[in-house]
Amino acid sequence: MINFILRRIVQTMIVIVILSYVCFGLMSLMPGDPVELMISANPKITAADVARLRSFYGLDQPVYKRYFNWVSDIATGDLGYSRTYRIPVEEMMGPALGYTFILSITTLLFSFAVAVPLGIISALRPNSRIDYTINLFNFAGISMPSFWLGLVLIIIFAVKLKWLPASGFQTTGMEYDTYWDEFVDKGKYLILPVLSLSIQSIGRFSRFTRSSMLEAMRNDFIRTARAKGLARNVVVWKHGFRNALIPLITIAALSLSSVFSGALITETLFAYPGAGRLIYSSIMGNDYNVAMVSFLISVSMVLIMNLMADLLYGVVDPRVSYK
Amino acid sequence: MKSTNIISAFIAVSAITFVVGASGCIKKTKKKAETTTEATTAASTDATAAAGAPKLNNSELKIGMSQEFENFNPLIATMNATTIMSKLAMRDLVTIDADGKWVPQLVKSIPTLDNGGAKIVTVGGVKKIEAVWEILEAAVWGDGKPITCDDAAFAIKVASAATVSVGEKEVYTQVEKVTADPANPKKCTFLYDKAKWDFYQLGTFHILPKHLEEKIFNMYGAENGGYEKNSLYTKDPYNVGLYNGPYILQEIQLGDHVTFIPNPKWWGEPPKIKKIIFKYLPNTGTLESNLRSGTIDLISTLGYSLDQALAMEKKVKAENLPYTVLFQPSTVYEHIDLNLDNPFLKDIKVRKALNYAMNREELVASLFEGKQQPAVHNVTPKDPWYTDDPSKIVIYKYDPRMAEKLLDEAGWKMGPDGIRMKGGKKLTFTLMTTAGNKTRELVQVYLQNKWKQVGIEVNTKNEPARVFFGETTKKRAFDSMALFAWVSSPENTPKSTFLSTNIASAKNGWSGQNYMGWVNKKVDKLLLDLDVEMVHEKRKAIIAEVLKYYTDEVPVLPLYYRSDVAVIPNQLKNYRLTGHQFPETNEVEKWTLE
Repeated sequence: MINFILRRIVQTMIVIVILSYVCFGLMSLMPGDPVELMISANPKITAADVARLRSFYGLDQPVYKRYFNWVSDIATGDLGYSRTYRIPVEEMMGPALGYTFILSITTLLFSFAVAVPLGIISALRPNSRIDYTINLFNFAGISMPSFWLGLVLIIIFAVKLKWLPASGFQTTGMEYDTYWDEFVDKGKYLILPVLSLSIQSIGRFSRFTRSSMLEAMRNDFIRTARAKGLARNVVVWKHGFRNALIPLITIAALSLSSVFSGALITETLFAYPGAGRLIYSSIMGNDYNVAMVSFLISVSMVLIMNLMADLLYGVVDPRVSYK
Repeated sequence: MKSTNIISAFIAVSAITFVVGASGCIKKTKKKAETTTEATTAASTDATAAAGAPKLNNSELKIGMSQEFENFNPLIATMNATTIMSKLAMRDLVTIDADGKWVPQLVKSIPTLDNGGAKIVTVGGVKKIEAVWEILEAAVWGDGKPITCDDAAFAIKVASAATVSVGEKEVYTQVEKVTADPANPKKCTFLYDKAKWDFYQLGTFHILPKHLEEKIFNMYGAENGGYEKNSLYTKDPYNVGLYNGPYILQEIQLGDHVTFIPNPKWWGEPPKIKKIIFKYLPNTGTLESNLRSGTIDLISTLGYSLDQALAMEKKVKAENLPYTVLFQPSTVYEHIDLNLDNPFLKDIKVRKALNYAMNREELVASLFEGKQQPAVHNVTPKDPWYTDDPSKIVIYKYDPRMAEKLLDEAGWKMGPDGIRMKGGKKLTFTLMTTAGNKTRELVQVYLQNKWKQVGIEVNTKNEPARVFFGETTKKRAFDSMALFAWVSSPENTPKSTFLSTNIASAKNGWSGQNYMGWVNKKVDKLLLDLDVEMVHEKRKAIIAEVLKYYTDEVPVLPLYYRSDVAVIPNQLKNYRLTGHQFPETNEVEKWTLE
């Protein structure tokens, strides 16, 4: 087991190094650079200024040289400096990752909390009225674009009813006397984006749960368990649900891998200062340091979560072994 | 375990995460400016807004904008959003006001040759300018330290360093030396390296608080980017000593909002509004919802596009909403650059025909409801150099017959399919612009139709903005026509776009902005002469001559001058859009909510 984990960690590191170089190279192929932004904002910037700034930022150097400079900085713990925002990357990324984590994990847990029971209920009563109703809800959720739903939610709850704020992550200028006040205020701002993001996930997760549970419940050992006279709950949860967990773990692991990547459209729509928006603007603005750090986080999360999923398979399924 | 227990467990886990997440996990980044100002007790009005649209008062104004902001160090900040915000907290020696005139801000008056504040001197056989800038006696930084000549000299020192990424460097490096009067540290004599007429145009010359920033520059200035990474504007942006405007920074939340409160040490007209919050709303489609729900009170110039503003104006009228939609003609010039290397476009008659076949008046009336002005050339009506005098420049009124005549003369005969032909080749062009820009796409369709009427076929090809500007226009890779805008400012010499030495090429690292490939040696000479012409009327005459060549040779097809738009609450008074790069916030202290 330890050998397996170590081997996977080494593989992960190699993949990260290779992918980071590929990503760096691809970014450098994209047209434009931060200097273009300066030209558009200031009519007095001269051609000499442009040439000087490109040299200042090292944009006139070959890609491999820039990559090695970046790697050596990262190796010393210096994540670099955002060329667009002109502040250290960690100062930008830290809060943004925190906000995105809160939004994503709340959405994920809320989605699972609703989807798994719905999927199980649906699987235990296939082709019943309740199954059809849940399926209808699931397909509606899957087909509904989250940005459209977000707009509708804003119009209903922020503009018409005025119950919830239209955008942001906290009331600007608010002083919090207690943690409860802070929780209530920030929670209020999370409701609409979480709802907007969850509806689609609930539909998807619920469909997965239903199908894996249905398949698990068709197994011979379920019939045997029932024939042995085991209680329904024991048959469903101990024998059925545990076997249905494997595909769910894969989905959960993949979903968890994106908790730091953010939800670009939802974050933009609700003006939520998360990482998704930051990653997008850094790529579009050729802000290499921010984009590359975001990339490293995303790749690492995917690889780590895949590793965790592989390990969890062994926990829930004794047939899986690590050699 | 019963299924209800499972559901309860999931809900419990979810709720716990929500509680922990919403209240605890986010590191508190909020920090208060240390100030004794009276103005900060107002908690949120969002909650009240949610309960019902409140009547606004001077306790708070929330401004929505759709552009990101950055570090507030005035030397290195480049984004328009930062410029708008920074004028609340930072003032410069001079600026251009809403009427388009240069006015003093931190100084008593603007030195000129006429008022004796400036004179031409000869040093080492070179003609130079010596100008006396006298800083206002009451002008102090937010920590009470007086603003002196040392702050200007220090800014020049920092900006001149090769290790600092200042955008427009020449505005600093043109000042060779700053000498303070021994009896008055606020009376500064600037010695300029050349005798140029625009020496006083120091709107982008930003001073720095030497008493705070010098030690940082001394420590990190030798390292590439070292100063800007360690500057107090980066490390301690709430330090009140960094600011000299009517407001100081109270809170910055990158990607969300910035809050300003009055500067207790401000010497000028006291600001009326006790708190101004700029809120970043990246999706312009949600600006209206945020306005109506009370999350913001005003949509800044960095918010709506013109079509959105026109739609909003209709809603304001139809629903009698308490807002005013402002339209202000700006110095942004929308036009089509012609690639003069295109064999068809080398013929001046073809270029003139294209110009005659465009009906700009109809275009602005039908697409923009007359809220944007048709353009005649690159100098906008906000500019003292503007002229539309037909005796000085060539004016192209819509005249399809003239267009047809010119094309006939050029040998382009009408083909059977309604497209002109010459030597077996069709008269076809490709009009490129930025993809996804609805207004430009509408203009493309309009022009296609107009040009087709005289037998010119125009196809469209659009690219994402970063490809279009980062590759296509920059490297002159557009086949024939590129539709985009130039941002200008009053009395801005168009050397970067007109000089033949600024034709973008691999040789100059694609850094020139003469994308047309326009070569006119007389224009080159006139523009270089303009630099050293000290008499305003003579400069106007030089520019008029340049514009004569520009309008006669048609390297560019002018379209219209864009308008800045904003939506403001009816209660807000003294808010004036400027239409140029020096924003409305230069007069923020006059704003009041009545």
